Amino acid sequence: MILLNMKRYFSPTVLLKVFLPFVMLFTALAATAQDKTAAAADTAPKTVWTNPVAITMLVIIIFLLIVIAVLASVVTGTAKWQNMQLKNSGAIKTVIGILFLISPALVSAQDAATSSAETSSIAGLTETTFYLLVSVIAIELLVVLLLGLFVMKFLSKQNVYTAQTVAGVAGGAAVAPKLSWWERFNGFRPAEQEANIDLGHDYDGIRELDNKLPGWWLWGFYLTIIVAVVYFYRYEISHAGLSSKQQYELAVKEAEEAQKAYLEKAGNKVDENTVTLLTDAAAISAGKANFEKTCATCHGANAQGNIGPNLTDDYWLHGGSIKDVFKTIKYGWPDKGMQSWKDQYSPMQIAQLASFIKSLHGSNPAGAKEKQGELYKEDGAAPAKDSTAASVTKDTTAAKK
Amino acid sequence: MQLEKFHYDNKIVKYFGYATAIWGLVGMTVGLWVAIQFYLPVVSLNFPGTTFGRLRPIHTNAVIFAFVGNCMFTGIYYSLQRLTKARMFNDKLSWIHFWGWQLIIVLAAVTLFFGFTTGKEYAELEWPIDILITLIWVVFGINMFGTILKRREKHLYVAIWFYIATWITVAMLHIVNSFELPFSWIKSYSWYAGVQDALVQWWYGHNAVAFFLTTPILGLMYYFMPKAANRPVYSYRLSIIHFWALIFIYIWAGPHHLLYTALPDWAQSLGMVFSVMLIAPSWGGMLNGLFTLRGAWDKVREEPVLKFFVVAVTCYGMSTFEGPMMSIKSVNAIAHFTDWIIGHVHIGGLGWNGFMAFGMLYYLVPKLWNTELYSKKLATNHFWLGTIGIIMYAIPMYWAGFAQADMWKQFTEEGQLKFTFLETVTNIVPMYITRSIGGLLYLTGAVMMSYNLVKTIKKGSFIGDEEAEAAPLEKKASHGKEYWHSVIERKPVLMLVLSLVVVAIGGLIEIVPTFLVKSNIPTIASVKPYTPLELQGRDIYVREGCYVCHSQMVRPFRDEVVRYGEYSKAGEFVYDHPFQWGSKRTGPDLAREGGKNPDAWHFMHMWDPRQVQEKSIMPRYPWLFKNDINTAITPAKIRAMQTLGVPYAKGYDQIANDDLQKQAKMIAETLKKDDKVKQLAAVSEGVDLQNIENKEIVALISYLQRIGKDIKSAPKTETAIK
Repeated sequence: MILLNMKRYFSPTVLLKVFLPFVMLFTALAATAQDKTAAAADTAPKTVWTNPVAITMLVIIIFLLIVIAVLASVVTGTAKWQNMQLKNSGAIKTVIGILFLISPALVSAQDAATSSAETSSIAGLTETTFYLLVSVIAIELLVVLLLGLFVMKFLSKQNVYTAQTVAGVAGGAAVAPKLSWWERFNGFRPAEQEANIDLGHDYDGIRELDNKLPGWWLWGFYLTIIVAVVYFYRYEISHAGLSSKQQYELAVKEAEEAQKAYLEKAGNKVDENTVTLLTDAAAISAGKANFEKTCATCHGANAQGNIGPNLTDDYWLHGGSIKDVFKTIKYGWPDKGMQSWKDQYSPMQIAQLASFIKSLHGSNPAGAKEKQGELYKEDGAAPAKDSTAASVTKDTTAAKK
Repeated sequence: MQLEKFHYDNKIVKYFGYATAIWGLVGMTVGLWVAIQFYLPVVSLNFPGTTFGRLRPIHTNAVIFAFVGNCMFTGIYYSLQRLTKARMFNDKLSWIHFWGWQLIIVLAAVTLFFGFTTGKEYAELEWPIDILITLIWVVFGINMFGTILKRREKHLYVAIWFYIATWITVAMLHIVNSFELPFSWIKSYSWYAGVQDALVQWWYGHNAVAFFLTTPILGLMYYFMPKAANRPVYSYRLSIIHFWALIFIYIWAGPHHLLYTALPDWAQSLGMVFSVMLIAPSWGGMLNGLFTLRGAWDKVREEPVLKFFVVAVTCYGMSTFEGPMMSIKSVNAIAHFTDWIIGHVHIGGLGWNGFMAFGMLYYLVPKLWNTELYSKKLATNHFWLGTIGIIMYAIPMYWAGFAQADMWKQFTEEGQLKFTFLETVTNIVPMYITRSIGGLLYLTGAVMMSYNLVKTIKKGSFIGDEEAEAAPLEKKASHGKEYWHSVIERKPVLMLVLSLVVVAIGGLIEIVPTFLVKSNIPTIASVKPYTPLELQGRDIYVREGCYVCHSQMVRPFRDEVVRYGEYSKAGEFVYDHPFQWGSKRTGPDLAREGGKNPDAWHFMHMWDPRQVQEKSIMPRYPWLFKNDINTAITPAKIRAMQTLGVPYAKGYDQIANDDLQKQAKMIAETLKKDDKVKQLAAVSEGVDLQNIENKEIVALISYLQRIGKDIKSAPKTETAIK
């Protein structure tokens, strides 16, 4: 029966209208994804398009889309049949419009998905991508469910209608109005009884009814009050809940433990006393990437010096050995404007950075800044002493402790 | 009984209506302009008045106080007369109110354009305008109360309860939050400092939303919705409960704007739990509105006015559910400082306030001009365009908010932050583009409305004094047993007093202990007052509206402490008049900026951020390199600070400029020695290193280098030196 009905309401144009936005959406998605893949080909990121789980999920998504399209066409078809003026062409134009205009947002989501490709992953996918796919599937399921309910409703209405017509022809007994779940949920009174609860007020023609407060509203109100009291008691009176400061301390402690465990596992225990010059290409290129991200701002893209000193010549303000450079990056020289990077970069990353910088020695880049500091020779004596004390700005009122 | 004949004053309604439409268009256009600056910084025109930091307050003030303000007055002047069966109390007062309010708006726009601001969001206007606002508000109050007192209707309808609560609460909020000490004819310092200033400001700011954007508009809804639908109000009981609950609870919720800040924890918790309790009272309004349409939904299909109202009330329900959710501390940890907030307020602003205003204008104009709307179809198209505009505005903002918050908080397994701040901004630039398209659609809709209304006006004939008649008010007291609330409804003064009592409680309980109990703001010995140069720099920071994009509040989160430094302490802000914690991080937090970057970096960065960070979206500030520091005013500033309790030595105002020049010279020396700065000066017209010590840029650098430095922990420096 249902299948028969479906066929009757199935129209190719409706189908096309429903499909079009999705096609556009996926074209946009695919296009951006291709861009990213091409751009980052050598680092081989795990994108949506190379992962079996992802492909499975995409297949599910597309399958569900087809289901939605079919159901939607049934719904619109049924609606038409029932002479309900659904302006579906307008609605669909709207949907297409929205999707089209939101597509920049989708591009960015894809960006986020690929840029976070290096770490925490689920089934080989980044968390963002994974959850994005999962939520798309969830939303689609929800839509399927809703459309399913609509179809059921229309079909049952149709049955009632038929039954009534039959009954009307046979005997003609009036059917008593039945309150829907929605009306019962809100405690609505039937419209016929409205006069009984009219309060008789008349303000410029506005009358007022004396309906009861909807039960769910009132109980919801009570519930929020209870939640409020319990929360306040727990957090501010019994102090069973953690204060902002305690939450922070806990988070830091957990993170430190996790970090320690990871670093031990990864053999990342390097410090300024044990660091050695790294020469493998992977380490140097990792150092280069971080240099471009952070250091280039002050030291120039080719380390030629900008606000910070030239790092390619023989002159160093704070010593030019790998150990000195490591130490400078790790602790910084805050008085000179060089900040400490130990919270931003791991010891291994700092070693990579320092090694990359050392690898630039003698590269003599264009626009190199004049020499600063003291001459440093490889295998030289103690770290060079600072000789240019000129640029020290002392804050007159800052805390001196 | 003899019926009395009188006339409703429609002319004043007409003028307020015009003002609503005009300021609406202006405010939205400025909004679109600032939205475009997010991805095209050049649209700031490198001109002080059109830079985001100054335009954004113009946008918010224009839409809140000019657009919604005039909308509120339009609706009140129309409905109050009809609900009280009386002409407005005094025509002269009406016109003083009208022109006074428009004058305030113009003065606001001009002063904000020139950078005169108190630096407190939604209360940016300086002291002379604050006084003017107070006067005009009193005029409005007298006019409204005069009308109520000479009414011909015994009981006050629910809309009027909301008008009364609005008037008294806005008066209270405005006066308390505007306590400031003038040090020149136009500039002042906030009376309060740091944490206390923040608490008072957000008590005000949150309740400006509550009592300027919500309660008066609910009043309008209670009049225009049943009128347009021709249906009785669903539940009188619900009106009573939700009205009193709403105004009582709303006041407490201010601290939810300060969750995880240096505000004492107990106040934060109060703000959060009262926000949660606010869901039901807010929804009471939505339900009473939507249920009123029961039996009239067929009209909604036909009538654009009702369409606008339905979406407006639905948006109200959405944002008043979302608001409490965002007030839950763990959710707020994600939402705060991101674009989620911007999405949230625009659901309220565009959806609730905007659509209520549009619906009301579509209802009023044909009524006032005694004709039919020029084109219902055009109005319906406006409705759809506006709705799509809202969706296209809100969704990208939510997305941007989640995405950015997520990126801020991500760490690599090695324990380092995964993204630089700039990366998190670059990632959401596409959302900013989409959002501005949404805004454009919405604005287009408003333009369509204006056209439609002008056409309607042209074909109608305006009735300035509309005839009406009603029986005079019976003097004798009422009869026997009466419902308690019914008594209050007969006594407007009682209602006013009760409203004041109810709204005063929450504020008192939160604010008084924060001021009086010392343990709430533990002092830190190393925190010292600003030097004169830093103070000047700070005033430039306020003038340019840096706080609009940069917070100064490191919350106690792992990621923020790693990214910015030690989390902020209450005692750090005791000399901050006004506080500058901000509410949005379009740029990074600056609470620990002092000493992070060299002077030269700031110099280059303020000249052109993109020379330092290629993808930066910050505007340029070339005028800071041209303007001289106004040293003539230094003594007055120091004296004002002394009055406010900042411990400068006695007579310091006389020698402050010496210190100022000394410090400026030192910074100038550093700059002059820097190769990069020299190179910039050589190629850029407008950078004159010769006199650089006199320029505002030096003052600003001195302030930026000071922020958050006083408690920068000593141990860290020691490890670096060893």
